[in-house]
Amino acid sequence: MQTLRMDTSLFGSFLEALKAFGTLIAPVERSPGVFVLEPIDDVRKARPDAVRTVLPFKKLLLKPQFTMLEHRSGSEPMDSNDSDWPPMVYVGAHSCDIHALKILDMLYLNDFVDPYYKRNRDRLTIVAFGCMPDDKCFCASQGTANVDDGFDLGLTPLEGHYLVTVGSARGDDIVRANPQLFEPSDRGDVEEYLDRLKRRLESFTLSMSVADLPYILELKKDDPVWEELGKKCLCCGSCSMVCPTCSCFNVRDELPEEGVARRVRTWDACLYRDYALVAGGHNFRDKRADRVKNRYYHKQEAFVREFGKSSCVGCGRCIENCPTGINVVEVFNLVRGEL
Amino acid sequence: MSAIVPEHHAPRRSVRRLGTGPNPYLPVPARIMRMQELTSEIRLYDLRFTDTALADRWAFRPGQFVELSIMGVGEGPFSLPSSPTRRGIFQLGIRRTGTLTDYLFDRVREGDTVGIRGPLGNGFPIELFEGQDMLLVAGGLGMVPLRGLLHYLIDQRDSFGRVILLYGTRSPDQVLFRDELESLARRGDAEILLSVDTTQGKPWGGRTGVVTELLDLVQLDVSTSYAVACGPPVFYKFMLEKLVARGFGRHRIYLSLERRMECGIGKCGHCAVGYTFTCLHGPVFSYWDAVNLPELIYT
Repeated sequence: MQTLRMDTSLFGSFLEALKAFGTLIAPVERSPGVFVLEPIDDVRKARPDAVRTVLPFKKLLLKPQFTMLEHRSGSEPMDSNDSDWPPMVYVGAHSCDIHALKILDMLYLNDFVDPYYKRNRDRLTIVAFGCMPDDKCFCASQGTANVDDGFDLGLTPLEGHYLVTVGSARGDDIVRANPQLFEPSDRGDVEEYLDRLKRRLESFTLSMSVADLPYILELKKDDPVWEELGKKCLCCGSCSMVCPTCSCFNVRDELPEEGVARRVRTWDACLYRDYALVAGGHNFRDKRADRVKNRYYHKQEAFVREFGKSSCVGCGRCIENCPTGINVVEVFNLVRGEL
Repeated sequence: MSAIVPEHHAPRRSVRRLGTGPNPYLPVPARIMRMQELTSEIRLYDLRFTDTALADRWAFRPGQFVELSIMGVGEGPFSLPSSPTRRGIFQLGIRRTGTLTDYLFDRVREGDTVGIRGPLGNGFPIELFEGQDMLLVAGGLGMVPLRGLLHYLIDQRDSFGRVILLYGTRSPDQVLFRDELESLARRGDAEILLSVDTTQGKPWGGRTGVVTELLDLVQLDVSTSYAVACGPPVFYKFMLEKLVARGFGRHRIYLSLERRMECGIGKCGHCAVGYTFTCLHGPVFSYWDAVNLPELIYT
C-alpha cells in the first residue's frame, strides 16, 4: 500500500479530476445537518465530512425499486438495465460504510451472484474519508471503526493536508493520472495520523459489548425484553430502510401496458407484517415482538453464524431514525443485563 | 451423477451458476408436455425445456425445487416429484392455492410454455443414504417431493437397502400416485403402507387411522436406516418425535420445509429462519438442524 499526502486546498481539483473516473456521488447538505448521497457536478457541494447520510450507499447499488426483467409478448423475458448506473465515484465513504459494502458483497457476490448488484459494484470507485464519531456512532464496538481495504483511495484529514492511502490499482490509476495533486508523505504525517487516531478512539461515547453475544441471544430468546420491545416498536421499517446492510427485497409482477410484463424488485423489511406470510395464510411472525426480535437476532446472531461476523456496522442510522426512540445499543446492553 | 449435482449444504464461499443460466433471476422457457389431475386440487405437470441442449443437460437432486413463473402473473417455488435419473422431462406437482396456481389451472394448456429457474435448494443427502435402509414417511402433499426420492431409490435399487414408504392422507380421494405406488409394491421394489384418516364413505381397501400409526407396523434396524419425512406442520409435530422414540437419531431423520420465497437463491431474506435460508441451506434439513432452529417447525 502506498501512502501520500495532498494539500487541503487541492480538494476541489481532486474532485474535478475524479470526474474522469465516473459520476461523482457525495454527501450533500439537503437541509441544516441533514445529508443525502447524490450525484454532484458542482464539487463545492460535496461534504465528505458529514458524519452520516440519511440513506446509505446501498440505494445506488440496488435502487429502492427497479425492473429486473421485462417481457414483451412474442419474445422471451429479458434482463433489464433499470437499476444500472454509469461508473460511479463514491466520495466520502466512512469506515462503517465500507464495512457495510463488504457485507453486501458477501451476500450478493458469493454463491449465486446477483447481476444487478454486480454490474454497479464492478463500476464503483470508492474514496474513503476519515471521520470523527458523534453520540450515535458505535462502530468501535462492532469492529468496524477502521478499514484496511475495500477502497480505492483513502483520505484522512490532518492539519492543512490529507494523508492519502492508495488502496487499489484503480486508486493508483487516479494518482498516476494526477501527479500534480500528490506529494510523498513523511514521518511527521504518521505522527499526526496516530495522534488523530487516539483522539478519535477517545471520542466515542456510545458502546456495547459483542462478546459472546450470539450465545447470549440464544439464552435470552424467551426473555420478556422482546415483548417489551414489541410494544414500543411500530414495525414501520425505518431502521431497515436506513440500515446500510439491510437488503431484503420483494418481487412482484406488473403489467404497465398491453403486451408488456415487468418483474419489479422493491426494498422490503422483515418488520413488515406480511414478510413471512406463506401461501395458505400462515404467518410465521405474526406478532410485532417476533418481527423486531427477528431483526435483532439476524444482525447479531444469524449473520454471525453464517458469515462469521455481525452485519451491524455501528453507523447509528437506526438510532437517528427510529420514530419511537429505540436505541439498538440500549437494547443489547439491556439483554446483557447491563442496564 | 455426482459431478453435475450441487454439493449438499453447499457453502456460500464460492460462486455457483444456476442450471438454467448465469442470471439466476431469469426464467427460461419450458413447455408443458402433459397435465394430469391427481386430485381435484392437485395436478401433475410434465415439462421440457424448449432449449434441447438444456433439456438434455439439466440435472437436479431429489428434494430440490424450481421457481415456476408466468411473467405478469408471478412466480412461486414448486418441488419436483420426478427423479433426475430420468432426463429430458421433469415433473411438478402443483396444488391450487393462489393467483399463480389459479392462472396455471385455468388458463395454461398443454403445449404452452412457462418460465423455470433452478434447480434450487440443497436436496436430500443421497450419498449418506447409499447402502442404508430407507424409511420414507409422507403426509398429504408431502408425497410430491418424496415421490422424486422414491423414484431415485428405485432407479438405483442396488445402491440402497430396503425402501419403505408410509403414506397417509385425509381420505381415499386425496391419495396421490395410488396406482403407481401399488404397482411398485407388487413388483417388490418397495414396501408400501397407505392409510387414510377417514374413508368418508368411499371404497378403500387400505388402513384407516393417522399415518404415525403405520410406524408401529414396520420392523427395521434404526442403526442402518435413514428416515425421510415430508408433510404439513401437524404431521411433523407428531411424526418426528415418534421416529425419535422409535430409536432414530436426530441426524438420521431428514425433512423438507416450506417458507415464503421470492428469489430462491438466498438473497431476498423472506425464507430466513434463524441463521438458515430455507431456499439455500434447505429445504431439506436434518431433524437435529431443525430442533436447533425452533422457528423452523413449530411457530
